[in-house]
Amino acid sequence: MSNQKGFRIWLARIVLTLFAVIILLPMVQTFLYSFSSIPEMQGLMDTRGKRTEETWMDLHLSPHKISLGQYEQVLVKDEEILRFFTNSVVYAVAILLGQAFVVPAMAFGLSKFKFRGRETLFFMIVMLMLLPFQVTMVPNVLTLRFMGLLDTAWAVILPMLFAPFFIFLIRQFMISLPDELLEASSIDGAGPFRSFLWIVLPVCRPVLGAAAALSFAESWNLVEQPLTYLSKSETLMPLSTRFNQMMAGNQGYEFAGAALYILPALLIYLFFQEDILAGIQLTEMK
Amino acid sequence: MYKKFRLAWPFLLPGLAGLLIFYGIPFVGGIWYSVTDGKVQNAFVGLENYISVWNNTMFQMGLKNTMELSLICAPLLFLLSFVLAAGLHRIRPAGGFFRSSVLLPYLMPSSAILLIWLIWFDFRGPVNRLLAQFGAERIDWLIGPEARIPVILLFLWKNLGFCVVIFMSALQSIPESLYEYATLEGASFMKQTFRITLPLAVPSAFLVGILSFVNAFRIFKEVYFIAGAYPNEPLLYTLQNYMSNMFNQLSYQNVTTAAYIFAVIVFVLFGVLFLSQRSALKRLNGGD
Repeated sequence: MSNQKGFRIWLARIVLTLFAVIILLPMVQTFLYSFSSIPEMQGLMDTRGKRTEETWMDLHLSPHKISLGQYEQVLVKDEEILRFFTNSVVYAVAILLGQAFVVPAMAFGLSKFKFRGRETLFFMIVMLMLLPFQVTMVPNVLTLRFMGLLDTAWAVILPMLFAPFFIFLIRQFMISLPDELLEASSIDGAGPFRSFLWIVLPVCRPVLGAAAALSFAESWNLVEQPLTYLSKSETLMPLSTRFNQMMAGNQGYEFAGAALYILPALLIYLFFQEDILAGIQLTEMK
Repeated sequence: MYKKFRLAWPFLLPGLAGLLIFYGIPFVGGIWYSVTDGKVQNAFVGLENYISVWNNTMFQMGLKNTMELSLICAPLLFLLSFVLAAGLHRIRPAGGFFRSSVLLPYLMPSSAILLIWLIWFDFRGPVNRLLAQFGAERIDWLIGPEARIPVILLFLWKNLGFCVVIFMSALQSIPESLYEYATLEGASFMKQTFRITLPLAVPSAFLVGILSFVNAFRIFKEVYFIAGAYPNEPLLYTLQNYMSNMFNQLSYQNVTTAAYIFAVIVFVLFGVLFLSQRSALKRLNGGD
């Protein structure tokens, strides 16, 4: 009986580990390929998409010879990838900064104040969160057009600042904070504003970390918004919309671009991993 | 804690103003677009736009493909994440490596991962090579109707971790003693899964289900990566393609109308999910 149980646990372990390896493989392979020389990569990519040939692609897991040629091309010689990369950075940073002003304050207002209509307001934010992008893009476009902001960077940034998911996430955390925390500080004479800045925000550090990391991941992978709101201004596109065109060009250094693009997201994940785990679990309770 | 609305205003104002300006007001105001004809006189046409968009072949194709893709993706995501979370729960406290790996893609830009996908699913690439090892025919993964499969796999790869984490925390909150007692009583593993795990995980299961659908509905990125902005393959023409086309043609009547139709469909679907969760809970709790 217990032998059988032990066997099952080992089986689960092996299957899960295999799964984990497959999940990680795309990242590992991107990094490995980014150290191939440009001619080697071009040669490999040239064998793509040829349907008539019976042979297989000449694939290796790792480069024949380690080379920094791709990185040199991306970072020094060629400006194109770096320019789109900079666009991505601008969007991600602007969105994060804007959200920092709007989202935690709104979450605080929705969790630690009692007023009529609070639950209705929160319910509407949850409903908004559930609407797909194809629906919410329409009101966004109407406003952006009215303001004359279409085909400017603001079109991508502004609507993201009020992302309902992050208001929801931080509110879930704040509502679980004990009221005594605020009572103590108001006895000391601190108003809501000072209590918010000096008591609530520091206590919320884990959930703020999770929200920031998840928000970064979202703005680092923007596709729908730039394609719709910036349809006439290619130069404003973030790098995330460019990879499939780059692949078609086959210049041999796409993988260095991809590796550079993965790297910040990877670092953020490693740094905030525990916060993100706890943050995702917050979405569960009502 | 604070009882006065006056005090809450400064905190709510920036967010509320933004939500009203970018979502609330235009959402209500957009109804005007959907019931007028957009010509110089801008005459009121009632439900004419709704009828014409609903009967439009491109809208129907986009809606059908979006619904089909979500109805494949969401249940797959749901089942796979439940199985993985259950497996992970069995081997705890080990499994940290798996947990970290499965959540990582959620933070990764799938746009950059696409490069590997295009190699793996190439006609002469490793996936076909593996198939050939087992004696199967090669498949044209990136062109034609089969292109749905790499699209779905990329979606699963990215979204799996989020759902696994939610399921896992639900499983962790089930007291161990329940299982011990059930084992003593001689309940089999399957019986335990269906009598203990499932009923207690239903509230989270509902959440994972809703989130799977929310994410699956907006499936477009993956399609854009693999098939481009104007997919040749009709099965990959999604609602987002339709919306973008109408938007580029400045056809605001059609964009708004299509959005309202889709919003109604989404809420009806969530309503059905909500009701089925309630009845499932009742059945599971009232069973014995």
